[in-house]
Amino acid sequence: MAKFFGLDKLAYLFRIMKENGGIRSSLYKLYRMDDLKMGTLMGIDKCGNKYFENNRYFFGRNRWVEYAPKYGTDYDASQVPSEWYGWLHYKTDLTPDKDPSRPIYKWMSEPTENMSGFSGAYIPYSTTKPKIEAWVPPKPS
Amino acid sequence: MLRSSLIKVLNGAKVSPKHVCVTFRAASDVAKKPEKIEVFIDDQPVLVDPGTTVLQAAAQVGVEIPRFCYHERLAVAGNCRMCLVEVEKSPKPVAACAMPVMKGWRIKTNSDMTKKAREGVMEFLLVNHPLDCPICDQGGECDLQDQSMAFGSDRSRFTDIQFSGKRAVEDKDLGPLIKTVMTRCIHCTRCIRFASEVAGIDDLGTTGRGSDMQIGTYVEKFFMSELSGNVIDLCPVGALTSKPYSFTARPWEIRKIDSIDVFDAVGSNIVVSTRTNEVLRILPRVNEEINEEWLADKSRFAYDGLKRQRLITPMLRDNKNELTPVDWEAVLLTVCKVLQQAGPNVAAIAGGMADAETLVAVKDLLNRLGSELTCTEHVFPMDGSGTDLRSSYLLNNKISGAEEADAILLIGTNPRFEAPLLNSRLRKTYLHNEAQIAVIGPKVDLTYEYEHLGNNATAICNVLNDNCPFSSTLKNAKKPLIIVGADLLKRADGAAILSLVQSIAAQTCNKVEGWKVLNILHKVASQVAALDIGYTPGVSKIREAKPKALILIGADEGAINKEDLPEDCFIIYQGHHGDLGACMADAVLPGAAYTEKQATYVNTEGRAQQTLVAVSPPGLAKEDWKIIRALSEIVGHKLPYDNLNEIRDRLDEVAPHLTRYGEVEGANYFKQAAQLLQEDEEKTLDDSPIDLKIKELQDYFMTDSISRASPTMAKCVQAVLKQKESKY
Amino acid sequence: MSGTLMKFSNLVKSNYNGIYASIASNGQICFYSTTPPGTPPAQTKTKFGPLADEDRIFTNLYGKHDWRLKGALKRGDWYKTKEILLKGSDWIINEVKTSGLRGRGGAGFPSGMKWSFMNKPGDGRPKYLVVNADEGEPGTCKDREIMRHDPHKLVEGCLIAGRAMGAKAAYIYIRGEFYNEASNMQVAIAEAYQAGLLGKDACGSGYDFDVFMHRGAGAYICGEETALIESIEGKQGKPRLKPPFPADVGVFGCPTTVTNVETVAVAPTICRRGGVWFASFGRTRNSGTKLFNISGHVNTPCTVEEEMSIPLKQLIEIHAGGVIGGWDNLLAVIPGGSSTPLIPKNVCEDVLMDFDGLVAAQTSLGTAAVIVMNKQTDIVKAIARLIMFYKHESCGQCTPCREGINWMNKIMYRFVDGNAKPAEIDMIWELSKQIEGHTICALGDGAAWPVQGLIRHFRPELERRMQEFQKQQCAASN
Repeated sequence: MAKFFGLDKLAYLFRIMKENGGIRSSLYKLYRMDDLKMGTLMGIDKCGNKYFENNRYFFGRNRWVEYAPKYGTDYDASQVPSEWYGWLHYKTDLTPDKDPSRPIYKWMSEPTENMSGFSGAYIPYSTTKPKIEAWVPPKPS
Repeated sequence: MLRSSLIKVLNGAKVSPKHVCVTFRAASDVAKKPEKIEVFIDDQPVLVDPGTTVLQAAAQVGVEIPRFCYHERLAVAGNCRMCLVEVEKSPKPVAACAMPVMKGWRIKTNSDMTKKAREGVMEFLLVNHPLDCPICDQGGECDLQDQSMAFGSDRSRFTDIQFSGKRAVEDKDLGPLIKTVMTRCIHCTRCIRFASEVAGIDDLGTTGRGSDMQIGTYVEKFFMSELSGNVIDLCPVGALTSKPYSFTARPWEIRKIDSIDVFDAVGSNIVVSTRTNEVLRILPRVNEEINEEWLADKSRFAYDGLKRQRLITPMLRDNKNELTPVDWEAVLLTVCKVLQQAGPNVAAIAGGMADAETLVAVKDLLNRLGSELTCTEHVFPMDGSGTDLRSSYLLNNKISGAEEADAILLIGTNPRFEAPLLNSRLRKTYLHNEAQIAVIGPKVDLTYEYEHLGNNATAICNVLNDNCPFSSTLKNAKKPLIIVGADLLKRADGAAILSLVQSIAAQTCNKVEGWKVLNILHKVASQVAALDIGYTPGVSKIREAKPKALILIGADEGAINKEDLPEDCFIIYQGHHGDLGACMADAVLPGAAYTEKQATYVNTEGRAQQTLVAVSPPGLAKEDWKIIRALSEIVGHKLPYDNLNEIRDRLDEVAPHLTRYGEVEGANYFKQAAQLLQEDEEKTLDDSPIDLKIKELQDYFMTDSISRASPTMAKCVQAVLKQKESKY
Repeated sequence: MSGTLMKFSNLVKSNYNGIYASIASNGQICFYSTTPPGTPPAQTKTKFGPLADEDRIFTNLYGKHDWRLKGALKRGDWYKTKEILLKGSDWIINEVKTSGLRGRGGAGFPSGMKWSFMNKPGDGRPKYLVVNADEGEPGTCKDREIMRHDPHKLVEGCLIAGRAMGAKAAYIYIRGEFYNEASNMQVAIAEAYQAGLLGKDACGSGYDFDVFMHRGAGAYICGEETALIESIEGKQGKPRLKPPFPADVGVFGCPTTVTNVETVAVAPTICRRGGVWFASFGRTRNSGTKLFNISGHVNTPCTVEEEMSIPLKQLIEIHAGGVIGGWDNLLAVIPGGSSTPLIPKNVCEDVLMDFDGLVAAQTSLGTAAVIVMNKQTDIVKAIARLIMFYKHESCGQCTPCREGINWMNKIMYRFVDGNAKPAEIDMIWELSKQIEGHTICALGDGAAWPVQGLIRHFRPELERRMQEFQKQQCAASN
């Protein structure tokens, strides 16, 4: 009966809203991420991004990231650090804490997000020798 | 093998090995004009002078006979055998480059026998020639490639490649300029003939016999000649190539721009080869009247100095007393302020590579500011008529005239290193006309024998007063020539010497119409243009006048130092290289070098020629006269020309010959110049020995700002010094 | 009629007295009516056989007698040289022309004509005679016999030939390896100077003539006339281009004639005994006697002076003791020094040893150095060795000789083993044709001809070797 009228769907919706912390929170999430989903929290990374999984959704939508609140609406895919990237993009099923084969080298630097459009953007430059050598004036002694 | 000696033997004086008069001994009177002979080349009749070879006769008709060893300016060797053609009624083919034609001969250049002969010779040449085309610099401009495509067979029959293979020969070390891969040599002996005839250094020769014959210097020797680079042009294959240019480019990707060389005062015509806005190499252009088809080494190889020590941004001296780069606005405003403050106390010194447009622009600007202090670095005596009469400072008899002289007196000049192409003409006349040459000055090696008359001014007096046997030779010669060097006239007694020389020239009774005896040889390309436009030679005027601002237009000889100028003098250097001048400057304006501007240069004969733009000036550099024009506008005395045509009109106004490119305007009034010089005050002769700046080969290579910046020239100097220590 | 005339001339021959005796004895000028002056009279003999002793010119060829001046005078040298000189150059040249003497150095150019090229009026340059004693042709050893055993013939010949050309001096260019010959010649020249026969007022005729010796340094190419001239001038011995011919521009730029030793050495005898006498030997246009050097597979190799046009078989059988193993054991003969093509046995049966006869047999007389090869010879190896000689001796100036002979040498040595394909035989034929005639001097021809001779006559041998080699290769690889 509940199925017939779609009332179980409604019940599910309320459950989602409850999981997400209430109506206001759900509305904020909808505004921020255009999406309201419920899933098990798999882990949190250094920056505060939360990673969820729910296999009730189909492949492609069953793992997602909720960016840290500090990013606001300026979230970007490049803010996902490398250790969670593999799990999020279905390269592996093991989350970073459970995966023994994640290497840690001393040369690994902090992950940075994509800076295009900002002042820190990468501008390509030439590494060839200049064709004309300029004159360097001698320093007065 | 050398036919030039044979030509001397037979009567009938001929000027160059081009004119070979061999078999007609019966008619031994030279005055009668010989009748022309008729021969048939491929059934086309042609009338030729007796003594022309089959190859020359065919060239008159337009038929090119292939050859490797023949060269118009060298003696005939006839050893490549590629020029074999069939002559009717002859069982064997004849070598076209060596056989003088006989009356009625029918020459077939396309018959079966000729074609077979060419294929055969080409096959033999390729048998031992290495498969180096992909790595050989001559690929694309190689005579062997072209002729094998046109005349050779299409496949190889050299089955021995699977058994004993091809011959290989060790490379020889000829110095930092010429790269030798002697395996590729086809033994045409053009380099040997050039070295012994034109360059005068008998170092190249053949060692060994038969298949093991090698061309080289036998002992490891640097080919010490200032014309050594021409051997690269002569070699028809890639055996001798240019070391600085090796592996840089292929001839089909190069752009070629005609231009003029400014490293010496000869003004040789060159072709600047560029690709992607850099100068890759410099080759000579044919100009019968100036450089024939040779080019001196400095002009050929110093182009890599154009990439180093360049001024690419304007600079100003800041409060730490260092030159720092600024932009054009800042430097022009600073300079303008200085000029306005200085008023009429501005001076300008023209350097060795300044072009006529810049010279006229600077003079115009300075004159508008009220100053007359435009000077050149090199000195010329201003007494008497000074530089008003052109004949007193030009090479009046023209460079091509030097090859017809029969008595030559060289005073205070070393033409071998000051103008190598003039020296090659003097050597030509020494070889073919048996000219007598005498030198007053330090004893230097001129590649030909000469009588050394002395090393001081008394020697000149001796010639004048008939105290030495050479004076009678000079007086009785039909075409006497006197060449005075600019170095000599720089001395304090320069005017006295000039007047003596003018008297000697007046004494000679030359019987040929239009022959000028007295010639002055300059050392820098800008001197004649500057004197034509009205610059004062010598900086003594500036020293006396104590200017407040000084403009150096590429002046790097150090004619004036900071000590000679007042404390507050502001020095502005406009040029293309950071050398002596830029070091002492307070403001630096980057200009364009000779390959980067379209400019007019006048050579020592008085012939105006123009360079064309081959590459663009680097960085923020601009064309020189345009900088002056911009400066003039800011200063307030705007110069009336905005583009090249207008400034050339101004040049035309000043001196019409400056825009008549390629022609020499003859100068006269020798008698009046001599008179005016003698009427001037008492001159005393200085008896100290005459000294020249460039005496030996190692001094030749680095004489101006571009060649001083060139690493190739530095290597040459090192190699010469090393060779001098070796025992060979 | 001409037979009787011949008999008269035979009588006259033994009479040393008058050179004009031929006219004086029968008093008729019609002696020359059948042939114009300056040409040899037509030959009527058909058999040319062994030379009679009284007809020999070189009487001390084997060094049995004294070679010095005394011995030479006894043998008839320097007899009436003064009179000959006083007769003038035109007379001498005429005698030489009448004798039909052809150059003995290999080319066979008519000597009288060659010497008359020097007759042009002088233009102030001195004229020179150069004697080519650089006997480099493999197989040839005739000049050394003349120079060490009969040097005065050469010295007198220089004087007379020099007079004929109006030369001021003669240069004898002798091969560097000939030390003994050079010393004998120098002694002979010194003796001649001391006796007043050379130098100022030679032989008292009022004519100044000097003779100089110049030793070479071991190059075959210096036997070529222009290379010889270059070598005398002190330069590298590389041949010059012709034209200009040495008669116009020669040694030191002066008109020069280069002659072989034998040609010059027979000149005085011709002048003394008459050109007609000389022309009585040999066929028409191949007159006179010649020194033949017979070497190789013969029983007694030797140098003989024989009449021209003698049959080859007779020459070998009489003088050299026949071929080792008999005439039927003969394989091939190289008739004129290594530069001439070889001739197989069937041609040797009846070929006559003179210029025309051998040209008709597709070879040439050259220097008349007969190299006999019998059936124990590896003919291919022999020819390959000859080509190696040419490759070593090429001067390297012109391309076909330098590169072509080197290539032919490589191919020939492969032919010795048979390590080649039959198509390469045609290839080497074409190569030799490409070298021949396309070079500056005749060394290229000299290298090309033996190869051509081999292919022309011994092609089956070459193909047989190739087949054998192929068989061996197949057997080795299986």
